[in-house]
Amino acid sequence: MAHQAHAYHMVDPSPWPLTGAISALLMTSGLATWWHYKTTTLLFLGTTLLLLTMFQWWRDIIRESTFQGHHSTPVQKGLRYGMVLFITSEVFFFIGFFWAFYHSSLAPAIELGGLWPPTGITPLDPFEVPLLNTAVLLASGVTVTWAHHTIMEGARKPALQSLTLTVLLGLYFTALQAMEYYEAPFTLADGVYGCTFFVATGFHGLHVIIGTTFLMVCLLRHTHYHFTSNHHFGFEAGAWYWHFVDVVWLFLYISIYWWGS
Amino acid sequence: MAARLLLRSAFRAATTCRAVPVPALTRGVTTGGIPTDEEQATGLEKQVLKSMKEGKDPYSILKPKEYAGTKDDPHLVPSVTNKRIVGCVCEEDNTAVIWFWLHEGEAQRCPSCGSHYKLVPHELPH
Repeated sequence: MAHQAHAYHMVDPSPWPLTGAISALLMTSGLATWWHYKTTTLLFLGTTLLLLTMFQWWRDIIRESTFQGHHSTPVQKGLRYGMVLFITSEVFFFIGFFWAFYHSSLAPAIELGGLWPPTGITPLDPFEVPLLNTAVLLASGVTVTWAHHTIMEGARKPALQSLTLTVLLGLYFTALQAMEYYEAPFTLADGVYGCTFFVATGFHGLHVIIGTTFLMVCLLRHTHYHFTSNHHFGFEAGAWYWHFVDVVWLFLYISIYWWGS
Repeated sequence: MAARLLLRSAFRAATTCRAVPVPALTRGVTTGGIPTDEEQATGLEKQVLKSMKEGKDPYSILKPKEYAGTKDDPHLVPSVTNKRIVGCVCEEDNTAVIWFWLHEGEAQRCPSCGSHYKLVPHELPH
């Protein structure tokens, strides 16, 4: 163990920031070559490298924390700040898409018929699958909070059950939303309605998939006894992210699905 | 190392179920099975935990204690060697920090405000 007089973590040199940056380059240039020259090689390479980077970087963090004990209280505090700042940046990301939606829907252009939903658009019934989706995500918010409490109380089996239930609800949401996307009477190409709808709900869906994956990793780690009743920040970060995803959906549902119909 | 740790925590987790006293507020269906920091912390985290329990703060996590800075109550400056740099903010909100080396031995005074500082040895767990 390094002889240091402070409680911070001086990280060992790592190649993953570089591979991450390279994958960003390959993915962006890959998108360009895909659209202009119809070849997916660069994009595929970039995505593979991204997945490898994420897997190995986060695996290293788990090694440094759970197995090597580098995550002292000040280190954990820094990680908490980091996660909060990241989620805040994501909130602003979604604010952009809500801005776009309200810009076009509050004063609908004459080309749309001067109304919202625009002429020719049959919106989805907010009281059908979208309402079920709302219930699913709200329930998953409850189950993830339940999971947190069971972890803090040191109860392994209830934690396994509640966390599994949360993941299942997340997967159920994704399946329902995928079906909705397939069955929808309008597409991304259907003017500003289709654009704002699918970009906003699409990015949300991507975040649901990310959040579900995060929680699945937490579930796996929990089965391997990584978490202690007092120190389980990986799980807390996942739960925070999941709550954020839930809140974004509530805004989507109220704005686009309900008011927007 | 990880496998040993896992096996040890799994063994402890299996026995913890019976050993841990059930808190009054649990539902009582299934308790135990999740290790505590006590059982599973390792490395620096474990060092900090152990030291804190003994009332020590070797890694200076907590806010430094406040001293009057007088001759009888000098600022005690912990150091792992025999000297340490001190930055004295003589009065609150001063932007000019007075920097000087503090050596072991007799207390030294800040060249600007005259506060007393004394170097004390600081033990690091190894």
